[in-house]
Amino acid sequence: MGTRLSNTWEIVPHQHKGPAQHGDPDDHIRSPRLHNGAFKARGLATFMGAPYCPADRRAIRKVGAKVCFLGVPWDQGQVVRAGTSSGPAGIREASTQYFSYMFEYDVDLLTFFRVVDCGDVPIVPGNNDRSHQYIYDYVTECLAGGAKVLLCGGDHSVPIPSARALSDFHKKRKIGYIHIDCHLDSAPDWGGIINTNCSGPSRALDLPNCSAANIAHMGSRNGLNPKDWVDFFVDNEVRLLPMREVVERGVEACTREIFDRAWNGTGAVYVSWDTDSLDASCMPGTTAPECFGIKAREAIQIARIAGTYGADILEISELCPMFDVSQMSIKLACCMLYHYLGSRAQTLRAQAET
Amino acid sequence: MNPAKTYGHLFSPQGGDLADNYRAPGQITFLRSEHVPLKAEALRKAGVRFAFIGVPFDEGNIGKPGSEEGPREFRLASQEYFPYWFEYQVDLNGTAVDCGDVQMPKVNPGLARERIYQAVRAALAAGVTPIVCGGDRSISISVARALSDHLGETKRIGYLHFGAQLDLADSWAGERNLSTCALARITELPNVKPEHVAHVGARNSLNPKDWIDLARERGLRYFPMFEILERGVDTVAAEAIERVWNGTDAQHLSFNFNVMDASAAPGVTAAEPGGLEAREMIRIADLLGRQGKVSVIEVSELCPIFDVSGTTSRLAVCIVLRIMAAMAKARGETVDPSLRRARPS
Repeated sequence: MGTRLSNTWEIVPHQHKGPAQHGDPDDHIRSPRLHNGAFKARGLATFMGAPYCPADRRAIRKVGAKVCFLGVPWDQGQVVRAGTSSGPAGIREASTQYFSYMFEYDVDLLTFFRVVDCGDVPIVPGNNDRSHQYIYDYVTECLAGGAKVLLCGGDHSVPIPSARALSDFHKKRKIGYIHIDCHLDSAPDWGGIINTNCSGPSRALDLPNCSAANIAHMGSRNGLNPKDWVDFFVDNEVRLLPMREVVERGVEACTREIFDRAWNGTGAVYVSWDTDSLDASCMPGTTAPECFGIKAREAIQIARIAGTYGADILEISELCPMFDVSQMSIKLACCMLYHYLGSRAQTLRAQAET
Repeated sequence: MNPAKTYGHLFSPQGGDLADNYRAPGQITFLRSEHVPLKAEALRKAGVRFAFIGVPFDEGNIGKPGSEEGPREFRLASQEYFPYWFEYQVDLNGTAVDCGDVQMPKVNPGLARERIYQAVRAALAAGVTPIVCGGDRSISISVARALSDHLGETKRIGYLHFGAQLDLADSWAGERNLSTCALARITELPNVKPEHVAHVGARNSLNPKDWIDLARERGLRYFPMFEILERGVDTVAAEAIERVWNGTDAQHLSFNFNVMDASAAPGVTAAEPGGLEAREMIRIADLLGRQGKVSVIEVSELCPIFDVSGTTSRLAVCIVLRIMAAMAKARGETVDPSLRRARPS
């Protein structure tokens, strides 16, 4: 990275503006000179202090954003406890405690990806179908704008419309689908309803260009996995890596396997990462915290490996700040996205150099 | 009006050395030790190795406040432990005194830093090892200055800095003594050479670019979490110990407990994912204690209002006591193995 950053794009976080404005284009990756900078100044809280851009393909193309953050404050596709509609706000809040510069990768995420925050998808109370349609439309706009999407739920029914958006956007190519979760979420339906937060992989397999060979699950454990969910994986020959196997073989080998599967012969990949895949000790702020899960350092390792493969949509769901402790959950969720982006930038930079 | 009684306590504090801060805690002492005033003479007379000094200072933090409650909670958590440590067969009773809290003037960080400095100097002058409990990370600067001036320029200090952040800001918003500047200031001291400095636990993105640049510029060795995970805690701890103890006259251990994973230490100001686990830090404490000597132990950024079930304060106490215990064993100060509980008469 050069010592001076490109100033062709609006990068000054809004908290820096006004009479005490930090004027240099790379001020936001260094210790602040005049005041506390964007640090702790929530202001109009955006993810990473990134500029707001409407979820509109022309607007996204115009600013040249390569990554859109999109919140989905939706928690009525939920069969367990509610509260995940505050997930996007939690992740934005956590990001006020971080710089967009990551020393582990020597990269400024904000300028490298021209990150924008597209705000939240509007939802319709009590109406899963109409809410899902909005999610589908907003995600489609981001993809059509030429950006990858960081999607923050919201409950784990969010991947149903957003994977459908990805599928339709790449209708001539195959897509892969990765599901990291404490639960298998492969209910054919739940009480007759087909689009709940326990049917993500089931609906992914329904997509015309997503085959069982490119779907993989990692992290399932404990007793909220009814038999028909396991049967789905067995009968359809979808690769299932339960937590027991992750512990035995290690996170790295398992993560590589699911990404190798998802990217095998496909043109795009959807990653659906439920925060309850993490251990309850490092992720209390989720709707269904479970023991025997992925530890914080392992989650960061997963994010790093994911960054070497890439994904068209990376979705974090079921984040539930009201059950959080000392902000550890929202910060971990934020770190998962940051380390993914950092590692992704490092990978892209290395590819560009060779 | 009772003429024999004074009524100064009815009014806003007037300054001076005593009772500036009406929230100063009472006499719950570190490890139930004796309270001894922070005067060199009294400390010498007490004949102990350690002096606990609380520093409820929170005006050097750049983020979440709350670390001024640290010393109080640290003392409370220390009530939960016996002075006897079976793993080492040692008795810590009588090895420490509690010198209370450094009186904080409030809204006068310059004066507060001066008092912290003087407190540490008084303990060092008496030949005891201060256990300084903050307070935010900026107290490291005053503590290190005190050690530096106590020793004089010809001596060498080894400095070991634990934390999720490198704290290498030359300045932050124009200020030069904030918690984010700690390592930057300490590595400017004349008797702290880069080869005797180690930083352990850096991770995530509250480490802006100028900090990394300064680390390179000054030749500082930091062991980020990614390296610790790859190479293992024992290997990294051994290298850090080598830097800090080999060829030095004094050693300063400085713990910001956000070096721990947020799940192991939620009660810190900047709980950070991806850090050390409790069992790893206990291992490190054991390895540090085996060196048998240390000049200053300093703990910062404990933030009890965010703690869960007191686990973070307890971990911090456990680490400090374990260092003391391992050190006692390294010096051969174990208890007589034939000692038995007296039979009831």
